[in-house]
Parts: sequence; C-alpha cells; structure tokens
Amino acid sequence: MTGQTDEWGQLLVAANAGDARAYARFLQAITPTLRGIVRAKGGSLGAAASEDVVQEVLLAVHLKRHTWTPDAPVRPWLYAITRYKVVDAFRARGRKIDLPIEDFADVLAADAGPDPTEAADMEKMIGMLDGRSAEIVRKIGLEGVSVAETGLALTMSEGAVRVALHRALKTLAVLRERHVK
Amino acid sequence: MKTDDLIRTLAADTLRPVALRTILFAGLVPSLAVAALAVWLVLGFRADLATAMTTPVSVLRIVLTGTLGLAATRIALLLARPECSGTVRLWPLAAVAAAALGLLLWAYVTTPAEARQMATFGKTIVICLVSIPLLSILPVASLHVVLRRGATTAPARAGFVAGLAGSGFAAAIYALYCTEDSPLFYVTWYGLAIMAVALVSALIGARTLRW
Repeated sequence: MTGQTDEWGQLLVAANAGDARAYARFLQAITPTLRGIVRAKGGSLGAAASEDVVQEVLLAVHLKRHTWTPDAPVRPWLYAITRYKVVDAFRARGRKIDLPIEDFADVLAADAGPDPTEAADMEKMIGMLDGRSAEIVRKIGLEGVSVAETGLALTMSEGAVRVALHRALKTLAVLRERHVK
Repeated sequence: MKTDDLIRTLAADTLRPVALRTILFAGLVPSLAVAALAVWLVLGFRADLATAMTTPVSVLRIVLTGTLGLAATRIALLLARPECSGTVRLWPLAAVAAAALGLLLWAYVTTPAEARQMATFGKTIVICLVSIPLLSILPVASLHVVLRRGATTAPARAGFVAGLAGSGFAAAIYALYCTEDSPLFYVTWYGLAIMAVALVSALIGARTLRW
C-alpha cells in the first residue's frame, strides 16, 4: 500500500483512511515524545504549563494532518510542526515565563502536586466557545460520550455534531493563538 | 483538560480536511480565468496576437512568465508543508531570472544604440506597472488561501514565492494585450512589477501565514 515502515507512519496512514482508533493510537504514541521535547526545551515552565504546550502541539498536528503525504516520513513532518509550535509557544510566554520554585528544591521531591497531564489553558479556551460547541467538546472529551450519543443528547444529527466538533477545534486553535499573546 | 481527554476529542473529529492540491486548483484556475477575461474585456487582446504567437522574442514573454508561475506554484505548494522549508530548492526561480537577464543582455547588444531608449521605455510603462499588480490580486490571494490551510514554517518566504507565482501568471496573461516585444521593455518592467508584487506578498505572508 505505502512504503511506511515506521509504526507511526502506518498508524497515520490508517488514520487518514478513516480509522479513528488508529488515529487515537497515533496521538497517544507521539505524546510522550512531544512531552519530552517540550520539557527538554522549556525546563523553566511548570509541569502544567509544559502540558499546555504539549496540547497546543497536538491540536496543531491534528488541524494540519492533511499536510502530511504518505510518501514522506512522519518524523520530520511531526518534528517540524512541534518545533514551530514550541518556539511559538515559548515566544508567546516570554514575557510571563514562570520559574516554579520547585525547581530550586530537591528535584526528587517533584512527585506531589497535580497530575502532570492536567493542563489549564484548554479548559479556559473551551469556556470561550459558544455554549453548544463547548458542550460537544466537553461531552466527547471529558465525559467520553460517543459522537452518536452526543447527537442524541443535543438533538442534533451525527453529521452536524461532527461538523460542529471540527469547527470547535479550529476555533480553539485560533483562541489559543489570541489568548496566549 | 487532560491530554488523554484532548486526544479522545481529536480522534472523534473524523472530518477530513480538503487536500491542498484541490484547494489550489479550485482557487487558481478561476482566478486566472477572471484575469484573462479582464484583459480581454478591458484592454483587449493585441490585434496581431496570432503573428506575435509565432515570433520567438514575443512568445518568450509568455514562456518566461508562465514558467515562473508554474515553478513558483510548485514551490509554494511544497512550502505549505511544515518539513519542507529547509529542503525546498529555489534554483528553478533563479534559473528563470537568469534566463530573463540573459535575454535582456542579448537585446541590449543586438539593439542599435539609438533605438535602445525607445525600446526600453516603450509607450505603455504606466499601464504595465498598474495592470500586472492588479491582475495578480486574485491569483496571489488564492495561493495565500492554500498556504493558510497548509502549515508553512517559513511564512515570509512562502508569501514571496506565492507572489512570484501569482504575478508570473498575471504577467503572462497581460502579455496577450501588450505589444511591447523588446526584452529591454518587458524584462525590465514586467520584472519590476513582478518583484513588487512578490515583496508585498512576502510582507503580507509574514503576518498572515503564521498558525
């Protein structure tokens, strides 16, 4: 089918052919790598702020996934997006970069505190969406409700929910861009 | 929101964005058609178009500007991909520029000294410098739409190349009206108009092609 030998490449090919499960696995597979990059580059950001950047990168990967072509390797494409968004995110936070006091304490004691994958920015952005869009994102993302059930709950067709979700994600990216700056 | 929740949300969005190539054709082809129609209706094609089309030095205007348009469009499409800004090769654009300058030199040498000024300044500089940028607006805009849907990591450069592409096509269309057949005229003034459009497009791109 394609010359993708890399596992990420195979997942993304399947994802682009409409396999949502492969797509979720692709995103899960790249996340630890993205997190590693963000933490290595921005040690001065707190864990939650780092995770905000990771989520920003994931959202960009999602919204720009059509710029990947199956004849190209995944990693250079993914790293190019990551680098662009990380540089952007740090530039945007440059004025209010936070140097968490924990960094001055014993690094081994960094276990306590909130779950490191809990990030605050996205929640704020969702709050800025219109009511219905926010509800769709919350139902699917936070409650884990399927698209079909979300449609039933909101008396919308499944197709309408999909379109609304897609628009909401695009809006979230624009809101982030504006809000962080 | 946890990252796992975000991933679940993203995976639920199964709407496929339209391929860039599709957006390109859907935007560029009608833009060029409108530009050609505008030249035809407002300026009118040159009366000796059929003869001009068989005169090498005249046809070269269309060949050069059309080649610039095609090469730059291809490069703009590559620049829409995030990983390509470092590897994309710009030499086809330099080759077109070199060919144009070579032609200019050849024309300078072969034109008698007393005729050079006349050939260079012609009679239609103003209409040339106004028409080419105006005709560029739609094609360049359609390329900017493609680049915005894409993910360029070199916004100014992508804007510059999009400007070259759109104004190259616009100049090729303008040549259907223009009767100034000396390279002394068209390399100079078409070239100036194209560079001006490309620079403006680069300035706009640097602001609007971020994502």
